[in-house]
Amino acid sequence: MSNHDNQEVLLKVEHLCQYFKMGDSELKAVDDVSFEIHKGEVFGLVGESGCGKTTTGRSIIKIYDITSGSIYFKGQRICAGTRSYTDEIARCRKQLKALGSGDAAKKAELEQRIATAREEMRKAKYDHKHSDAEYAATLVEKIQQEYAPKLESAKGDSAKLAALKKQMAEEIRIARKSKLITNIQMIFQDPIASLDPRMTVREIIAEGLVINGIRDKEYIDQKVYEILETVGLVREHAGRYPHEFSGGQRQRIGIARAVIMNPDLLIADEPISALDVSIQAQVINLLNDLREKLGLTILFIAHDLSVVKYFSDRIGVMHFGKMVELASSEELFAHPMHPYTKSLLSAIPLPDPRSEKKRVRITYNPLAEHDYSVDKPSLREISPGHFVHCNDAEEKAYREELGL
Amino acid sequence: MASILQVKHLKVSFRTSSGTVKAVRDISFDLERGKTLAVVGESGSGKSVTSKAILGILAGNSIVEGGEILYDGKDLLKISEEEMCKVRGDKISMIFQDPLSSLNPIVKIGRQITEAMLLKNKGNRKAARKDFNNTLALLKQAMIAAQGQDSAAKVEEMVKTFDTFCIEGIKLENSYNQAADVAESIISHTEDFLFAAGKKRVDVKAELREVSDKLKRLKDPFLTKGYDEKIAHMAAQLDQLRVGYREPAKKKGEETVFQLPQEIRTALEQVEAELKQMMEQTRPNFFRIGYYKLKNPNENLTAKPVEQLNEEALKCLDSNFMLEFRSMVEQGLRHSFQTALEKKQAVLPQLEELKVFYTTGELEKGSAHSRAKAANALVQDSIDKLEIVKDSAAYTFGMALENTIDRYFMAKVRNPQEEERYAKQSAKREALIAKGKTVDWKVVPKTVYDLDEMKGDIVRVVDNLIERYQAYIAAAGEVDFAARTVELIDYFKLKASQVVNVVTKTMARERAIKLMEEVGIPEPRIRYNQYPFEFSGGMRQRIVIAIALAADPDILICDEPTTALDVTIQAQILELINRLKEERNLSVIFITHDLGVVANMADDIAVMYAGKVVEYGTVEDIFYDPRHPYTWALLASMPDLDTKEKLDAIPGTPPNMVYPPVGDAFADRNKYAMKIDFEQQPPEFEVSPTHWAATWLLHPDAPKVEPPKIITDRIARMRKAEGENA
Repeated sequence: MSNHDNQEVLLKVEHLCQYFKMGDSELKAVDDVSFEIHKGEVFGLVGESGCGKTTTGRSIIKIYDITSGSIYFKGQRICAGTRSYTDEIARCRKQLKALGSGDAAKKAELEQRIATAREEMRKAKYDHKHSDAEYAATLVEKIQQEYAPKLESAKGDSAKLAALKKQMAEEIRIARKSKLITNIQMIFQDPIASLDPRMTVREIIAEGLVINGIRDKEYIDQKVYEILETVGLVREHAGRYPHEFSGGQRQRIGIARAVIMNPDLLIADEPISALDVSIQAQVINLLNDLREKLGLTILFIAHDLSVVKYFSDRIGVMHFGKMVELASSEELFAHPMHPYTKSLLSAIPLPDPRSEKKRVRITYNPLAEHDYSVDKPSLREISPGHFVHCNDAEEKAYREELGL
Repeated sequence: MASILQVKHLKVSFRTSSGTVKAVRDISFDLERGKTLAVVGESGSGKSVTSKAILGILAGNSIVEGGEILYDGKDLLKISEEEMCKVRGDKISMIFQDPLSSLNPIVKIGRQITEAMLLKNKGNRKAARKDFNNTLALLKQAMIAAQGQDSAAKVEEMVKTFDTFCIEGIKLENSYNQAADVAESIISHTEDFLFAAGKKRVDVKAELREVSDKLKRLKDPFLTKGYDEKIAHMAAQLDQLRVGYREPAKKKGEETVFQLPQEIRTALEQVEAELKQMMEQTRPNFFRIGYYKLKNPNENLTAKPVEQLNEEALKCLDSNFMLEFRSMVEQGLRHSFQTALEKKQAVLPQLEELKVFYTTGELEKGSAHSRAKAANALVQDSIDKLEIVKDSAAYTFGMALENTIDRYFMAKVRNPQEEERYAKQSAKREALIAKGKTVDWKVVPKTVYDLDEMKGDIVRVVDNLIERYQAYIAAAGEVDFAARTVELIDYFKLKASQVVNVVTKTMARERAIKLMEEVGIPEPRIRYNQYPFEFSGGMRQRIVIAIALAADPDILICDEPTTALDVTIQAQILELINRLKEERNLSVIFITHDLGVVANMADDIAVMYAGKVVEYGTVEDIFYDPRHPYTWALLASMPDLDTKEKLDAIPGTPPNMVYPPVGDAFADRNKYAMKIDFEQQPPEFEVSPTHWAATWLLHPDAPKVEPPKIITDRIARMRKAEGENA
């Protein structure tokens, strides 16, 4: 079930930073994370709680305004932060001040840098705010182009023309309301907390459609029934309330709600952590089926490594807001490079008592493992498709370890 | 191996508006001392209900329909709430699934940890005094009986001496221990302080005051012998330093690294070094010294070096008292055992008769009860009261018998009433429907008890005791009385130390901090004064474990302790529980639905489904040779690192336990189900002496089926990996 050949990039995250204010200081929940998700693959994101994996997922879907970096979806920038540019401007200004009245050439260069940064920042702000509007505009244009020949041919027949015009107006209305971001949908961890107890299943699932401006009740019902059957529920369930369902069924409702919008990318934020073992298997099988049927791309966030290994094509390991290792799932488990990945892998409990009793857990102490005082680390490609967060010395050591 | 907790034929159900939900249907298991029993199953399989029944914290609408939970000579299902309080939290502790909801959000965690220690202490002291006195009185009787009436006065005298010096010695010991606690706390406190002082701003004055206060309190005739002057001097020095100390002025906007003045650092280091040296002295043996003091009331005990005192006291104790006393105790024990044995032999035929009485014929309430009472009197008389490990079956015999009989007669009255009610309601409903009205209420399903089964319960209680007694009589020749004597004297020492053991708030604080260190919480002194919300998930779970361990329990019940945590923290918590189990010889009941976790923790595994244990075996049995289709399904539904194929999810959901299925409860979701699975409940088929499973597939006539490929592959892989390692 691998899709390695398909190299079309669906989502690109570049230098994503997400900081939260904590009194005077800032909490760097996600700090300079970059990765790409290809069309049709499952990208797993693992790490301890508090390492920023959920924040990454939420930043992608614009629940937070990101601090710095950019996120491209289908080639269009949907999120952009401005911190890196303001920092650049501040740096340049400080240098300018230090220069005083000397060196005109240097001064000009610095001023040029400030101007570029300003320009970039303006673009980023524009993209962040207007990406959806631009998407809607392209959609509208597309519809207009589509209808132009039809309208032309129906010119004589006034009744047909009126009907066509009405249809077009309706489609344009919906297109104006649609957003690029709705092509990304999210499944939440806790199925009980993420479903409104006062809405019926039909209302919950159809809410996205309604918000998007669809008014045709019959169409909505039809769509809801279809999706219910896709996720393994029956149409009678549409009239019930969430509390009448078991945990696994509730999670299916959550999945149905996400899938009805026909998304290209699904962000699954620990969808199985709160479920029973047997139900976990049901939900994973369901996600696998949907992926084949609908050609979904999935960003799978979890802390259960055996499940992530089973389900994902590529895996990114996060630790304290940094991406420390990124590789295909086989490669990651066969040749873990970063000490944190090793410690994480050593903590997986296995259903084998004899080896389990012999298992030694490796502890990870970042202060003792790395010396980053002089040589600064970054995410580097050690072997094709295998990235590790390391500095020059470590990179050399890792390469030797792999026999390269 | 002695089992510490026995659950026998436990049945629990819940009354709800839609009928009686049978949550636990006849389960039995033994928990051995120092072992871990894992209970595995889906939610709703009754694992948590079982653990709650053990602790007596079942919900209000629960009915315990039958069975026994035997612990320390008591049946936990039948004792009063007051008695239960002495067991719950003290002897049996529980770690709950969600750490946040089991901590009080508005109380600092230090207080939550010490709460149990302080509360239990007072009650324990009284109870210990009572135990001590009762056992001593029984021992006196046995000794007099063994020695003959003539030596009664002598025995009396000796027992009295024993009582006095035992308590005296322990009193000295207690004061020594308290002083040692204070000393240790000063050492660890100073260490922490000196470590922290180089890194951040600290309150020097408060620290100096605390250490000097503690030093002034540090006084014990044995521990601080020869150090008293030094300690007083050091305390005075610290006071002086405190008065002379001035906070360095803080300049605005300037970050300076805080430096502890050198003289304060030296003084504190000296305190630390001196106390460490003091703690390394030989420990006096207070049990002996107690006697020595009694014999030589006027001698100054502290004048001699400790080693010499230990020696002399031992000689004095042995030659004057202990050897003789020990032999007399041994004779007493032997005598008491013999009498009990004879009585047991005499009681056996009566029990057989009782069994016949209950098995045959119609029971009549009056005679059933009076026979039970009479038999119980004989049984209670036949118990060797000087045994330290109590035989639960004998102690709880009367109660269990009365209970089952009561239940039987209650069912006899209830059944017709229930039938009548059901018939009436159904008739009414049908009449309404016949009239063409819409009926929006349901007939509450009837709960009819099976009288034969209830009778079986009565007989089983008798049977159980007969078996115990036969085993007891068979093993009569192998009893080691010398060992028992030592055990008994140790028991007295233990009780005496409980009698004089006073836990003050400061002591509880020090102990809590030690406990927090033990469960792996860094900087316990700072953490002690924080609220639960200031901790991360893993830390909160550690605190819950610390609270559970505060009262030093025998049995720890862990109800999904790691389900809410992520892998690394989970691994740490599991290692912690395993370590504590080794150190404290704890018995653990570990409830989970994650078989991966179980492989690491468990010695034995019980797989539960729909209120029944469907497979039971050692950890190796279950993982390398699983037999029940439900165990297969559980194993197959979780991927491991080498799984590639589609997962075998268990289809459907667990059955509605208002109407438990007639046959095998798992039949509906089982692809291996045969016709008989829907008709009859499978008995327990033994696979090996440690392993059984309740499935018809193990019947000799059943067709041979292979476990799912995903499991056979995995087992083959595990065996191969092991072969490579070996």
